[in-house]
Amino acid sequence: MTDPTRPCGSRAGRLVTRALLITCLLALANPAAAAHAAPRTAAPPSPTTPIDHFVFLMQENHTFDNYFGTRPGVDGIPAGTCMPVRRGQAEPCVKPFHLGELGSLDLDHTAEAFRVQHNGGRMDGFVEGVSTQGKDGNLAMAYYDDRDLPYYWNIADEYVLFDRFFSSSNSGSIRNHMFRVTGGPGATGASESIPKEGWGDIPTIFDRLEAAGISWKFYVENYDPTITYRSRSAEEDIDRGAQVIWVPLLAYARYVDDPRLFGKIVDLDEYYEDAAKGQLPAVSFIAPAGDSEHPPGSIRAGQNLVRTLLTQLMRSPNWNSSAFLWSYDDWGGWYDHVAPPQVDSYGYGFRVPALLVSPYARRGHVESTTLDFTSVLKFIEVNWRLKPLADRDRRAKTFLDAFDFDRPPRPAVLLSTERTPPVVTRPDPVPVYASYAVTGSLVAALVGAAALRRRRWT
Amino acid sequence: MSVTRSSVGEVEHDRCATTVVLHPVGQPEPASRPDGAGQERRWRRWAAPGALVAIAALALFLRVWQLDALGFNSDEAVYAGQAASLAGNPNYSPFFPVFRAHPMLFQTLLSPFFRTGEVDVAGRVVVAVLGVATVLAVHLLGARLYGRRVGLVAALLIAVMPYHVVVTRQVLLDGPMVLFATLTLYCLVRFVQAQQVLWYVAAGAMLGVTMLTKETSIVLAGGVYAFLALTPTVRRPVRMSVLALAPMVVVFATHPVSQALAGRTETGRSYLVWQLFRRPNHSMGFYVETVPVAMGLLVVTAAVGGLWWLRGRRSWRETLLVSWIAAPVVFFQLWPVKGFQYLLPAAAPVAVLAARALTALPVPERMGRLLRRAVRRPDARPSTAVRTVRTVRAAVIAVVTLSLLVPSWNAVNRANNATFLAGSGGVPGGREAGRWLAANTPEGSVVLTLGPSMANIIQYYGHRRSYGLSVSPNPLRRNPSYAPLPNPDWWLRHNDLQYVVWDSFSAGRSAFFSERLMVLIRRYHGRVVHTEHVDGTDSTGARVPVPVVIIYEVRP
Repeated sequence: MTDPTRPCGSRAGRLVTRALLITCLLALANPAAAAHAAPRTAAPPSPTTPIDHFVFLMQENHTFDNYFGTRPGVDGIPAGTCMPVRRGQAEPCVKPFHLGELGSLDLDHTAEAFRVQHNGGRMDGFVEGVSTQGKDGNLAMAYYDDRDLPYYWNIADEYVLFDRFFSSSNSGSIRNHMFRVTGGPGATGASESIPKEGWGDIPTIFDRLEAAGISWKFYVENYDPTITYRSRSAEEDIDRGAQVIWVPLLAYARYVDDPRLFGKIVDLDEYYEDAAKGQLPAVSFIAPAGDSEHPPGSIRAGQNLVRTLLTQLMRSPNWNSSAFLWSYDDWGGWYDHVAPPQVDSYGYGFRVPALLVSPYARRGHVESTTLDFTSVLKFIEVNWRLKPLADRDRRAKTFLDAFDFDRPPRPAVLLSTERTPPVVTRPDPVPVYASYAVTGSLVAALVGAAALRRRRWT
Repeated sequence: MSVTRSSVGEVEHDRCATTVVLHPVGQPEPASRPDGAGQERRWRRWAAPGALVAIAALALFLRVWQLDALGFNSDEAVYAGQAASLAGNPNYSPFFPVFRAHPMLFQTLLSPFFRTGEVDVAGRVVVAVLGVATVLAVHLLGARLYGRRVGLVAALLIAVMPYHVVVTRQVLLDGPMVLFATLTLYCLVRFVQAQQVLWYVAAGAMLGVTMLTKETSIVLAGGVYAFLALTPTVRRPVRMSVLALAPMVVVFATHPVSQALAGRTETGRSYLVWQLFRRPNHSMGFYVETVPVAMGLLVVTAAVGGLWWLRGRRSWRETLLVSWIAAPVVFFQLWPVKGFQYLLPAAAPVAVLAARALTALPVPERMGRLLRRAVRRPDARPSTAVRTVRTVRAAVIAVVTLSLLVPSWNAVNRANNATFLAGSGGVPGGREAGRWLAANTPEGSVVLTLGPSMANIIQYYGHRRSYGLSVSPNPLRRNPSYAPLPNPDWWLRHNDLQYVVWDSFSAGRSAFFSERLMVLIRRYHGRVVHTEHVDGTDSTGARVPVPVVIIYEVRP
């Protein structure tokens, strides 16, 4: 593996010298980029598993119980759950209820909301955590099921559902998205915002990939390349400016200023084209926009986005060597009954839904290994022999048990959005065969009798 | 010497003879030749069966040659799919319900061949064999009516007739239906000749079987009625007709009874209502333009001409045959829905009438003299004159046969064709497109086609759920067997359709829906992933590949 920080004065051939000279010039212009993202010239390492193409989509703001809490066979909502309206007071309480088409709100999902809802591990503040923000706290106890998420439930039937997958941070989007790409929280301390000067030289998984010569792209739905940490304003946080949160690379000077690296952050349309041509990079990160399922956005729209992405992957020449994992950046204020393990001062946060689709994924498997977003980094690092980025991803478990590499890749199956597929009823064939056989025999006998009989009718 | 009888005399004559042999006009009894008489008898004994076997072999050859060159067309896919579903073939059960519009006799017969895997040739071979059986039945009919020679010539004509050849190479109901219709006609002839009630009952039962193959053959009952009405010499007391009608009804009742016993109570009622009120699919001149050419213009001319030049020998036979032809012709000419193969029941009586005419073709004396002069034997004996007439007739029969054989041969060798007429054969590129979809698209993919015909083919060969864009969501304006797609744009936007198939045959029928399909393809990022071509020629005459089926991958 090439050391990205090796000195420029190498004794190589002329071409290599020129390349290094250019690298040196770039380094002079942008030392951070050179330090983290020097491209590797040797052949990239081959993956340690049959997975040559890994795709990671991050949706928004739901908990495991909110999406799969009523699903049989998983660690779902415990029977008899009733969430106190006030912490420490058993009554009155709110029972989990089906949200369906009632409509939802953007519930509070800040670090403070987490603190109230978590309540030191007592997990009894979900209603209060929302209601103290002036919103209907009962809504935190709402859940969706297969009536609302038939496609996701069908995916869980066919592929892998994780029921101990935690958000990395016990706060909102920014830290979780930073954990997703760096293995760390980004901004340290109490601050949870993107620094004005960007994320500086915090290494990302893409630096590792770049250094190892492994292809990658960051696909962004409705991508606007003019919105970066330099152009984004606070008012845009909830609008298109969220692009900088969901694509942390846009808050890195070295990614924004280096045309080569910046060129790897592309619109989602390229994902479809790359997949169709069988040219998906080794690692693909996807950030949504309006289809993120962020409440009060339509969960059906998000489901449709995931289905479209998976459909394209399944009909891609890359399908047989690919894996697609999607999860949700934070809990969104919704109820989840599992108290998250405390691994450091930032997390974990509450459980979030996560599903894995791959021709090697175990069929209908529920994976209960404790995981978080850095487990995805861990998988990439293990698969392509990369160094860890931070302490969290170094210690994280990965989800290799969700695969079965002993079997050949499964053919793709496009699952429908019908939870119960139409039953094909085949009529009983015996009466059909019998009726026609009897009739045919009788007619044949009649004609035969007529041919043999010579007596004239009178 | 001509042998003419009154109608009563004809019937009385037929009662006494198993096979009626009418001597040709102006043809004396063949002179006996003492030397080698035994050898001649042996030859004669084997000549007719030998000729019949040769005709059957030719018929079979024409019906199976390059049988697999083209895949199923839409109707074939549906009938084969029904047969496969009835047999429990898991590849087809989700796409083709067992009961659709027609009775199930033929599909039941086919189903043992469709139990596993993808089958198409075996189904067509079954129909081809039934087609050869029809040739033999036509021989029986012709021989019964006019003698063995007419029977043989009629069998030869039907064996090479493009109309019959083309239809009996396809898994359609019409081929088997014509076999049973011809047998019905045969039973009727036997009844008239023998006046035996059992033949009348057998004719009724056989008509029931014909209707069990395809219910539209009930129009042939009109032909029977017309014949009986126009032939007062045939005895037809009411109780005898009721006796004949009863087995027809009982036999046809197999269809609803078997459906009910199998757990399905609905019949093709809504299908019939739709057929009654649907818009015409062809112009009024459709049959005039297509069927005489397919039957052979010389054959039709001979059949019609024979009615004229043999008018002196007119009998109940011609009345029967003309009635049998007129019933479907009149009915389907008036019926708004027209299909190329619908008039096939008329092929058998047309062939018999043509054979009758050709074997009794009047040869002008001048032509006889010219021929004798040509062979430089002007003083030839009368037997030579007879031989000359025979030679002329044989030559004419050969020319007529050749005029059928050539288009038939062209038809069975025409695998690459950018045009397609429903019922006239397989669809170029359809099977290959379906197989491509089966091999290259994920299971569960849903396909939008231009029309329901390609949707059926895709479902048969591709095992992918397919919808035709042109299928109307209005139940009054669509075949109830087809599932409409009320809002294809919505389906595409929600990723419920992953592939779109355009085909030149459907596009040729509906430019409007072709354009609508292309709009959807452009709107939903259509990307060509597969194309089926046939050989064509450009304006300079150079051979160019012509795309006939194009498969697009689409996404929201």
